[in-house]
Amino acid sequence: MARVIEVIKVGKTYPHPSGPVYALDNISFSVEDGQFVSIVGPSGCGKSTLLQILSGLLNATDGEVKVDGRLVTSPVPGTIAVVFQEALLLPWKTALANVELPLELRGVATEQRRRRSLEMLDLVGLTHAVGRYPHELSGGMRQRVSIARGLAPDPRIVMMDEPFGSLDEQTRTRMGDELLRIWETTRKTIILITHSLSEAIYLSDVVEVMGRDPGRILEEVRIDLPRPRRLDMMGSEVFGQLRNRIWHLIGDQAGTTVD
Amino acid sequence: MASHEPAQRRLCAVIPPPFIVLRIALILLILGFWEFAPRFNLIDAANFPSLSTVVHTLFELFREQRFLDSLLATAGRVVLAFVIAAPISVVIGIIIAETVFLDRIVSPYIYLAMAVPQSIFLPIFIFAFGIGTLEKTIYGMTHVALVVLINTIAAVRSVPSGYLLAARSFGATPVQIYWKFYVPAMLPSLLTGLRLGLILDVIGVLVAEMYASQDGLGQLILSWSESFRMKEMLGTVLLISICTIAVNELLRGWENHLGRWRASLSER
Repeated sequence: MARVIEVIKVGKTYPHPSGPVYALDNISFSVEDGQFVSIVGPSGCGKSTLLQILSGLLNATDGEVKVDGRLVTSPVPGTIAVVFQEALLLPWKTALANVELPLELRGVATEQRRRRSLEMLDLVGLTHAVGRYPHELSGGMRQRVSIARGLAPDPRIVMMDEPFGSLDEQTRTRMGDELLRIWETTRKTIILITHSLSEAIYLSDVVEVMGRDPGRILEEVRIDLPRPRRLDMMGSEVFGQLRNRIWHLIGDQAGTTVD
Repeated sequence: MASHEPAQRRLCAVIPPPFIVLRIALILLILGFWEFAPRFNLIDAANFPSLSTVVHTLFELFREQRFLDSLLATAGRVVLAFVIAAPISVVIGIIIAETVFLDRIVSPYIYLAMAVPQSIFLPIFIFAFGIGTLEKTIYGMTHVALVVLINTIAAVRSVPSGYLLAARSFGATPVQIYWKFYVPAMLPSLLTGLRLGLILDVIGVLVAEMYASQDGLGQLILSWSESFRMKEMLGTVLLISICTIAVNELLRGWENHLGRWRASLSER
């Protein structure tokens, strides 16, 4: 399959009076078209910084990110959508108007953007709530609107920064399944940042495990569980082994920082 | 079921009937006391004429040229001060809040200035600008400026930083970021500042008129009270009260309408 995203020796350094701080160091990996890739790691390992660099919201100090062979130095709205942890919906707009916003900003005609937005809200199962304001929606529903908003401009890549981080366990699991279903129907390339190992394994083709000080890739773990995934796979032996392996990778890391 | 939720919420937002009845009863009680206490000689009608007498006098006043001139003078000063000071304060407030350097240096003093009663500066204004419309308008402008400035700075700070990130990821231009994200987010807080500014503007102009003036409603109130013309004085007080309450409530309604989403923002 074709490589869509190439991350080549990306580093991010912040200047500091007592010497430079290395937030990210020598990060390289690539993502194939239609792949579901998760990035996990301990807090403070620079996952969110990496996602901002991948999406062009932040510039790397070293290395480069390429999407379809083109260098990413600023946001690529038609190609890359970003879904944030806080849904970041505009509270004065209805669910529908929020989904329409990125299309409106790009000058898509009213009727066309309305049709497209309604389709996307239907895809995330919110047809009944199109006219509601964010404060009238639950946390899970808000995040669905946010996903629909991301999908509205029909991007090839959706990057998500802990989108389910503020949701309760049950909603979170349901949203994971929902995301899988959306991924299977749309065949987007998805990069998901999460601190839940189970979530990462359950959803992904590949899990990039990050360590910190400096933030770097410890290992790329391929998840060879069959698709479609089912919740009872979480209890399987393979799943447990994968989970343990990633857990140890991150755990050993924590040990070294204590020394 | 789900479709009924918003309707229910709206019902809950309305004050339950018993309270509204009690509220109306309270104001009727106060107005009733004003009407009947002087009539039954509970208080001296010469010092405190009844409501109906005062209202009647107020209508009479509208036929007096001196009263109309004063009404126009006061209203003109209030409006002029607001129209000049409010937009300038909004722009300066935004510039201060958006410039880290200025914000660090200037903002603390704006907050400190808020603690000082502005009325003590009135003699300085008279010394500098005389006792005409210029002095009263500038005095009103200072009342508008401070509160609008503070609320504008607060409005800018209230915009979640995440909006910028989201806007950029949608490929929004700087102009779009401002008009589609920042301005709507700031608008309710901004309007609060403008409303408070208008109220303080009225206070400033009236105080200046009562302190030293040749015309204006403030001057009339003072001179009528000194010559024991209580009907006229109370009539003017009533008129000003009704006008300011009406304007305030109108603006507050607009503010709440624009900021429907604000009350529930903390739940996000």
